[in-house]
Amino acid sequence: MSRNASGIATFGLAGLTPVALTLLLSAFMLLPLGSSVAGYAMPHLAMISCFYWLSSRPMLIPYGACAIIGILLDLWIGVPLGINMAMLLLLRLFVLNQLKHYRGRNRGIHWIVFSVMAFGLFLMSWLLMSVISGTFLDPYTVFFQWLITSFFYAPVAYLLGRVRRWVL
Amino acid sequence: MRRENISASRARLRRSARGRDAFWLYMIVALVLLFLEMLGPGVPRTIRGYANDLVAPLLIVLDEPIRVAQSGMERLAGVSDIYVENASLRDENDRLRQWREAAQRLLLENERLRDILKVPQREIPPLATARVIGVGGGAFERNVIINAGSGDQVLANLPVVDEEGLVGRTIEVGRMTSRVLLITDFNSRVPVRLERIDEVAVAEGLNEPLLRLRFLAAGVNVRVGDRVVTSGHGGLFPPDLPVAQVASVDNEMILLSPLSSLGSLDFVRVMDYRPLPPELETDSVIEETDREPQQ
Repeated sequence: MSRNASGIATFGLAGLTPVALTLLLSAFMLLPLGSSVAGYAMPHLAMISCFYWLSSRPMLIPYGACAIIGILLDLWIGVPLGINMAMLLLLRLFVLNQLKHYRGRNRGIHWIVFSVMAFGLFLMSWLLMSVISGTFLDPYTVFFQWLITSFFYAPVAYLLGRVRRWVL
Repeated sequence: MRRENISASRARLRRSARGRDAFWLYMIVALVLLFLEMLGPGVPRTIRGYANDLVAPLLIVLDEPIRVAQSGMERLAGVSDIYVENASLRDENDRLRQWREAAQRLLLENERLRDILKVPQREIPPLATARVIGVGGGAFERNVIINAGSGDQVLANLPVVDEEGLVGRTIEVGRMTSRVLLITDFNSRVPVRLERIDEVAVAEGLNEPLLRLRFLAAGVNVRVGDRVVTSGHGGLFPPDLPVAQVASVDNEMILLSPLSSLGSLDFVRVMDYRPLPPELETDSVIEETDREPQQ
């Protein structure tokens, strides 16, 4: 069987783990941890999970899964529909095009690549939200969420790596 | 061997083309949705409300161990200063007893005067008490998800308060959950009144912990610490709900600090405040008048 065949055909039900875990982490993003008003203090766990799985098992999170996770996240978080959907679709496009440059490199490189890509995606989401709101939103909160998301990539990716070794 | 390589490479190209098609298809869907959001609320609020119901049971399960851990840590932190806290609580209790007596006397007097003047009651009963089970909005908006929905008779645009003051209003209502737009959200505007000088203005959310006071008449003397309550204008919020107090006055910029505990919301009350639009009120009065002779 080809390495690029559909995830379910290759891994059976375990092939659904990346999508299921990403959805679970998306729900985690809604938990009232610490401060109820500081939603932006929560790292974008769905982005971290998608990047990790696409970098290690690209075929297990297809474009359709990115679109569905993104739209559910938009509905759950309560932001304009399409923002997270576009972010996750672009994330997949980026990883598929750049994976050949960082595949097999150490974790630090993966962390840097993730941080650079996340910066671009957060910048895009800030611009889109500003256009939709009709005014320039304060970039501080977006910058802060990017910092937190970048910082949390390493521990979350480590945990996802444990799961990958155990399940897939 | 060569034929196999060619067919593998063709299969890869086909897959790549399919992937590109899928990307553009979903991207166009995302852009259309975003365009619709620009024109107005792209998706009916009821759909968003019911989407929250999907995730609510999971949030309740995930939230439980976190709350247990948080309360355990708070207890541990509280043990060290329990004696100091006990002494300050005794003082506060003495003061509150005096205030309670004064309040009871004033309440009786107020009720008697209302009876004499035939003034209708202004107390608004709570419709539901709910727990905050989720925080939404990400970096862009300030809202929370509560575990009360249409099953608890909650409707959109009802005021939500905690024990300190106004929290926000319901915007999306599902069967089991509702989303509450916080007063600190960028889209929130609350018509308010400065209690000390009886001047009306609007408290505007900034997506930050503080609110901004706007549309205040020129030359008004505002002081730090002045209490701000709802004015009741616009009909969304009942009058006299505590909202905030003035935190700073700097030329034209007056910032308010919300009185409600927005930083650590747990239980909130949805208030049963549904002012009738004037035309409906008139119609119902006419209907009542029509019915009276038949009864």
